[in-house]
Amino acid sequence: MHESSGKARVIEALQKPAPYGPDIDLGRYEFEEARVEGDPSVLSESGLERAAMRVGMDSSSPSYIQLNQMAIYRAIHRALEKYNVTIMPLREALEKLEVARELSWKLIKPETDKYTAHAYLYGGELGYFIYVPPRTKVPLPIYSCLAITVEKRVQFAHNVIYVGEGSEAHVVTGCSVPHGVSEGVHIGISEFYVGRNAKLTFSMVHAWARGLHVRPRTAARLESGGEFVNYYVLYSPVGSIQAYPRAVLEENAKTYMASIIAGSESGVYDLGSMAVLEGRGSSAEIVSRVVARDSCKIYARAEIRGEAPKSKGHIECLGLLLSNDSMISSIPIITSTTLESRISHEAAIGMIAQEELEYLMCKGFTEEEAKAILVRGFMSVEAPGIPSRVKVEMDKILDMVSRQAIG
Amino acid sequence: MILLELSGLSVCINGKEIVKDVTLEVKQGEVHVIMGPNGSGKSTLLSCIMGLPRVRACKGRIYYQNTDITSKPPYERATMGIALAHQSPPSIRGVKFAEVGKALVKKCGCSDFTFMTRILNVEELLNRELFVGYSGGERKRAEMLLVMLQAPKLALLDEPDSGVDIESLDLISNAINYLASRGSSIILVTHSGNILNKLARLDYVHIMLGGRIVYTGRPDGVLPIVFKLGYREGIKRLLGEEAVGG
Repeated sequence: MHESSGKARVIEALQKPAPYGPDIDLGRYEFEEARVEGDPSVLSESGLERAAMRVGMDSSSPSYIQLNQMAIYRAIHRALEKYNVTIMPLREALEKLEVARELSWKLIKPETDKYTAHAYLYGGELGYFIYVPPRTKVPLPIYSCLAITVEKRVQFAHNVIYVGEGSEAHVVTGCSVPHGVSEGVHIGISEFYVGRNAKLTFSMVHAWARGLHVRPRTAARLESGGEFVNYYVLYSPVGSIQAYPRAVLEENAKTYMASIIAGSESGVYDLGSMAVLEGRGSSAEIVSRVVARDSCKIYARAEIRGEAPKSKGHIECLGLLLSNDSMISSIPIITSTTLESRISHEAAIGMIAQEELEYLMCKGFTEEEAKAILVRGFMSVEAPGIPSRVKVEMDKILDMVSRQAIG
Repeated sequence: MILLELSGLSVCINGKEIVKDVTLEVKQGEVHVIMGPNGSGKSTLLSCIMGLPRVRACKGRIYYQNTDITSKPPYERATMGIALAHQSPPSIRGVKFAEVGKALVKKCGCSDFTFMTRILNVEELLNRELFVGYSGGERKRAEMLLVMLQAPKLALLDEPDSGVDIESLDLISNAINYLASRGSSIILVTHSGNILNKLARLDYVHIMLGGRIVYTGRPDGVLPIVFKLGYREGIKRLLGEEAVGG
């Protein structure tokens, strides 16, 4: 834990707004005591099933479940046992495991902003801890599901993933509210460690509601030769969401960070990805596809910093406006501090091409069907290394997103 | 049975009359060819039959299966069995060729997907984005497949033979012959006529000049003269012969 001066800084940060996104008055929401529950029967009639469905899961898949401020300690699925993977609520891991204590709050400082400060001081360290030992390839996706099922609550989650040297893991997380919950706050702190020559794919689906405010704070550290694929989908209305995940790469590490955002209603979506190429030969590709309808505002940020020789990176931000009242702002930043770094970006915002729409309508598709096909195509990105099972699930989500995106 | 009837049809684009007073009947199972130099209005005529929004019937009517379809949107015409093979279909990023193909199979109930992909040798294109980076021949073959999957009663084929290699020309003509053998009526537009000697059935040839169909005849009587003399001189000869003959 931090020293008293450190804690004072965190307390001070309770009032510190984030640099991006609307400032949320957390005092308007209720804070619930964090607890860990060993009896899964508490899930019956909890609304979890309905929340999980919205992110493409059934409630039996996740190894970790968090309802509001209650972590449900489910026995690790047998299929994962043979890989010696540790999955438990971080709250417990911090008590039992030295490695958890070593990794917690190292990539994200608690005093970063008011949301991290609140999570640090009041979050109760709920969230999951996943530890994959060295030289272990876990072919099965590891699922987790976090849901807010009660009005006006703040949900905190602090997730730590460690993938040991030469190992491989695929983590899928869904965060959601069931239909009917209209107000709340979700603050998620995620720290990912990818060891030497290890690989982590992290797929996340968010499905919120018009009065939810969401502030994920994510950081990843890739040791040499490590690989990190971050694949993020958000398709629901939201009050506001602001996130800017940051990956720091050592020698020859590489990352692919994709965000697929379908914004609607009057939500503010401020989302981005950042990669810092610290190591020689490291590389990053940041891709975003954003679709805006109704009166939503989407800020699509991306930044790559090339700080080492032979590093390379590319940003591709594409936006599609579906209504006159919506707004997309694409903000790619590329920075190089060495002669031998190659970084580029492309950004474009447009509307559905009339020629393509007419073409599909000539093939017998109605205007709505044709738009859905084009929006679905627009949102297709080939995220490398995502397991086929997860890809199928994501594809189903995107099929649904494309139908919803056109209203 | 008359499938399509154009009655005094004039077609405008941005207020300018491109096709003028065309009257034409196509019976079920017939194969018609419309020939003419570039810019004579052939493609505009097909686009109007399909109902593309940028072309407008400014005079006359279009009847299909005894129904006036002049004001119907393109997807309704497609649902009724009309399909257009575009001369230059647009590249559609992110949308896989196979996805559109499968959606059409689902919509139109066509059961010969695999067979048709083989006829046109497009298996390797199925997982690619639709028309993105395709060669001229690949583009025409892929578009032809999508038309076939619609199981059309009336296929409107806009320059299926332009800009394609010999192998693609053979594959496309095989596909057209397959469509015709299944009873589809076809209106094929071509300015070069490259494909015509590969077609198993050809009922009428229409020559279009300056937006008008200026001559209609049987292929045996028209094609040798047009191929030998070109459109303008050929038409003079044909009309002269008609006058003498008449």
